[in-house]
Amino acid sequence: MFISSLLVVILGALCSSSYATEVGPKLGKLASQKKIKQWDTDIFPNGRGLPKGKGNVTEGKKVYQKYCLSCHGVDGSGDSADELAGAMHSLTDNPPDKTIGTYWPYATTLFDFTRRSMPLNSPGILSNNQLYAVTAYMLYLNGIVSEDKVLNVNNLAKIKMPNRNGFINIYKKQKNTNSLVSQ
Amino acid sequence: MLNVKWLRRLHLTNRPVMARNETSKYTELLPSGKARQFTFVMQAKSLITNPSFGYKLEETGVYQISGLSWSGRGKIVKVEVSADGGKTWAEADLQKPVLSKCFTRFRIPWQWNGNKAILKSRATDETGYVQPERDELIAERGKHGVFHYNAIVSWQISRQGDISHVYK
Repeated sequence: MFISSLLVVILGALCSSSYATEVGPKLGKLASQKKIKQWDTDIFPNGRGLPKGKGNVTEGKKVYQKYCLSCHGVDGSGDSADELAGAMHSLTDNPPDKTIGTYWPYATTLFDFTRRSMPLNSPGILSNNQLYAVTAYMLYLNGIVSEDKVLNVNNLAKIKMPNRNGFINIYKKQKNTNSLVSQ
Repeated sequence: MLNVKWLRRLHLTNRPVMARNETSKYTELLPSGKARQFTFVMQAKSLITNPSFGYKLEETGVYQISGLSWSGRGKIVKVEVSADGGKTWAEADLQKPVLSKCFTRFRIPWQWNGNKAILKSRATDETGYVQPERDELIAERGKHGVFHYNAIVSWQISRQGDISHVYK
């Protein structure tokens, strides 16, 4: 009974708000600047957003073996999760191998995604140094950096990925076309 | 409800972040080895929802074929339906209001005489774009695009009235 009268009050408030001052449902709370900064983790292809830190291939291998191997397989060969390295087929083969080395256009993506989403069961636990290290190891497994590479805030975005020019921006091309299947 | 996804935050940027879901995923690899990127707009698409896989036609007679059509480029202007695998087509009625980029319900009566049949629907949007056959789409895009598929959907009706998904 109490709940149904409450609903009437709420509905009444919602109806009247359309022509009175706008009143939101007041859910949640205002995010603090600290929280916003904490969530602002995007890393752009030019390196904007990369945190301070560094890591090398050897350290990265240890991070990989502890946190990544159980799903991504030995040397990133893939298992229950995506194949990351060691492509046996090119992008024009059937099936194609879409690894970091054959497909990913930017190295910054690797740091960004690993930091926000990996390891799957507890994203956020890797330190910035561990993230640089495991990124270096992934790039090493894909033959993109040498075994002695140390990655940091200054050199990660400078790495040229093999498939950097492998993408066609459809959004730009999409306007005013009536081809049967194109775009 | 399964797999609810919660939108936690929106971050507006003036250029692509080139995050994993803008590069490694949600891009569509073409036979050439190049990949289509930022394919935000779904082209005209439709499918018959009734009858479809999971239903069974229990007896011969008149059925109402019904389904949904939509286009990321605007309004649906026409949906045609075939009951013979695409040899002949008839225009279905569109349920009003027809709104831009919204699901548009179509329906058309159909007499099932107990023979094998293949039902298809084909949508046209206000730009003149016509939903392609699967073969046409694959000829241009290959089979590894994965994330963006708008080809015609075919339901096969057996003589027993069972319904299955087929590719032509």
